[in-house]
Amino acid sequence: MSATLQDTRLEQPGRANLVHTIGSRFSLIGVWVVLAVVYAATEPGTFLTSGTFQTIFGSQQALVFLTAALLCTITIGEFVDMSVASTLGLSAILVPVLTVDHGWNVWLASVVAIAAAALVGAVNGWLIVRLGVNTIVVTLGMATFLLGIALWVSNLTPVSGLSHSFSLIALQDVAGLPLGFWEGLVLMLGFAYLLAWTPLGRNMRFVGANREVSRLAGIQVNRIRFGSFVAAGTIAGVGGVLSSAATGGFDPTISQSYLLPIFAATFLGTAVLEPGRFNPLGTLIAVYFLATGILGLQLLGVAGWVSDVFYGGALVIAVTLSTLLRRRSV
Amino acid sequence: MTAEHFAGPGGPGAVPRLQVTGVSKTFGSNRALHEVSLEVAAGEIHGLIGQNGCGKSTLTKILTGYHAADPGGSIRVDGQSLRQPVRPLDARAHGVGVVHQSLGLVDDRTVVENLRLGRFRAHGVARHIAWRHEREQARAVLERLGRPLPLQALVGSLSEEERATVAIARALQDTQDGRGVVVFDESTRSLTRAALEAFYAMLDDVVATGTSVLLISHSLEEVLAATDRVTVLRDGRTVESGLRTAELSEADLVHALLGRALDGAGARKPADPDRPVVEIRAVAGKGVQEAGLDIARGEIVGVTGLTGAGHEELPYLLTGVRTAEQGTVSIDGRAVRLAGLDCAGAIEAGIVLVPEGRERQGLALELSVSENLVLPQRGGPGRRALSRLDRSQDRELVAEWVRTLDIKPPRPDLNVGQLSGGNQQKVLLAKWLATRPQLLVLHEPTQAVDVGARHAIAEAIRAAADAGCAVLVAGSDENELAVLCDRVLVFREGRIAEELTDDVPAERIVQAIYRDAVRRPLRRSRVPQQTRRT
Repeated sequence: MSATLQDTRLEQPGRANLVHTIGSRFSLIGVWVVLAVVYAATEPGTFLTSGTFQTIFGSQQALVFLTAALLCTITIGEFVDMSVASTLGLSAILVPVLTVDHGWNVWLASVVAIAAAALVGAVNGWLIVRLGVNTIVVTLGMATFLLGIALWVSNLTPVSGLSHSFSLIALQDVAGLPLGFWEGLVLMLGFAYLLAWTPLGRNMRFVGANREVSRLAGIQVNRIRFGSFVAAGTIAGVGGVLSSAATGGFDPTISQSYLLPIFAATFLGTAVLEPGRFNPLGTLIAVYFLATGILGLQLLGVAGWVSDVFYGGALVIAVTLSTLLRRRSV
Repeated sequence: MTAEHFAGPGGPGAVPRLQVTGVSKTFGSNRALHEVSLEVAAGEIHGLIGQNGCGKSTLTKILTGYHAADPGGSIRVDGQSLRQPVRPLDARAHGVGVVHQSLGLVDDRTVVENLRLGRFRAHGVARHIAWRHEREQARAVLERLGRPLPLQALVGSLSEEERATVAIARALQDTQDGRGVVVFDESTRSLTRAALEAFYAMLDDVVATGTSVLLISHSLEEVLAATDRVTVLRDGRTVESGLRTAELSEADLVHALLGRALDGAGARKPADPDRPVVEIRAVAGKGVQEAGLDIARGEIVGVTGLTGAGHEELPYLLTGVRTAEQGTVSIDGRAVRLAGLDCAGAIEAGIVLVPEGRERQGLALELSVSENLVLPQRGGPGRRALSRLDRSQDRELVAEWVRTLDIKPPRPDLNVGQLSGGNQQKVLLAKWLATRPQLLVLHEPTQAVDVGARHAIAEAIRAAADAGCAVLVAGSDENELAVLCDRVLVFREGRIAEELTDDVPAERIVQAIYRDAVRRPLRRSRVPQQTRRT
């Protein structure tokens, strides 16, 4: 017995394994680089401009916030929160409606918009966690309900007219990119830190993997689940306020177009950095990867339908990839 | 042919019912099977045993066509070669039926649907299922087994014995009496003793007709008591082929499995009469009327009984998993009230549970060994939610436990689901031992675990006791309790009815459990051999 004690050292993954690990972690980044090189070679005049860079990295903040919101609930095992896009839409329309139509202070309107989004998350959480209603049904219903509310308060029309000074919370230039990009980056870095380095993040992972195991380990499972829904609502709400600021107003019908890209990016994110796991930084990379792909195709002269084809196709491929990676890891 | 003809395995020259010759299987650079051979004679129950990872599940998967074997080997049924890779329909045509782990039944479907699944024939213009025909077929096979069941009943509403009947009937329906072979792949492990007796009574009738059975099991006791001959696999090779179980003891089997004898458990430290004691008082809740016991620090106490006697509920009531109506646990003079106790409270008081359901309650299979192992320390209660995790401290802790319990492969970064069952169980035990508990409660700690892992787990539990932990083991496996426990308490109807002290052998535990109920041997046709067991 004592001989075997000394013999068993912790194995380090071998070199072949290391190549494999790097391959599976960074392959999407490799594809991204190849994609950029191909576009740069075929469209050097348009793709290789700072405007392209600006468009790719400066225009995705709504998507970044939405994927972060979706990650809140997906890490704790709620597979599909369909309502985050509509929650963002509600928050984004409330700001111009309250400010422009009703003459509120824009900051107060922002706080109310975020609070409303957090309330939506709390209602979702209450129905799903306390009452045990099916997640898809609750959030799908909630998504349509909120879209309707957004159309109602805005009288079915886009509302604009927010002040330039307010737009600086999203558009202020910092090191060549709008502030919104940096805000999204900080959010995702913070989220990644939370999941990887704090007991709360660890608990969230375990709740997502197996609720009964978590409960037996003393984790307050339902509190974490409820909190995740509230956090999802709040993050979508903040994202809404920033979207509104960036465009000086909001078109209430636009929120639905985010739904597919959110899922595509989130699932594609499981193929990056931590294969088989939903992870914030991988998701962030996936958001910009998808944005690059679409912009490049548009520059090549492909028409407007390309984003539907690209996001739809990417979603199917990403979910397939995610399923295969997860299967291999169990 | 008469049943007597099959009283023993086929004589010299007889064509084996199932003959596997020189079958190998390579996964990548990994050779899982080396020229494995296996012969099941007509009309016998043949056991196939081996440790986790020895290749027996790979062999089963080759028989069912899930894996394709490497070229070269052959599989014959009644002398006829099966084409490889095996196709399920082809195997079925040759009379090879398989019953998988946990019986493979769909609970919310009826008996007839479960029986005929995959065999429904489309009839008429509308290509509908002719239910009358299906019911007749189902009734016929159940009658052959001599155990009619309500065909329209939901399988989930049946008793365990009846469920076992459905599973066997399903595997048998394509075989004719006197032909075919039914493979049971660990399918008996969830059965209670009563259901197990009924199961083997049924198999007795089946093999008496000349049909053969290949039984793959972890339970050496079951293999010794219920099979005629046994084949042992070790590291992907056949090390013993067709040994007659009547001439074997459990120690012989262990030796064949491991290639060495197990070290004796060793004498336990004599009890110190002045040791502080964990007092468990007046526990009541679901299944437990009232139970009180003392466990000294350093002592391992077993609780057992018939199914439903209450010993299975006690672990969950003590650890806040299920809410108790009343009761207290006093550790070092500090009393913990069980009513209203949750898991976090129990863990903080030093009361931890190693639950029975490894996959359901024990471990998160899609997270890593390391994450699972440190969960109670890092993620659990009593931690500030946003304080930074200390990863180097985690690594040391994990490395220590991987060494202590000899977890293989020693790769904390692997997901738990990638480990074998025995090693998963070691991770589960380590996860809770690492919290340095005051009272360690275990439910069936070595169920469905191979002999080597069982030994390592027993050693670790003893070491925890020697370090001053009070240990309570709930289980119905008398051999496990006999090896582990200093004392065994027997539950009847929710109360502690009997206490067995001083070196409790398995036989005494069995006698105490079945004091009123008579425990029958697993196979009636093998009664004389029962008395020989060591």
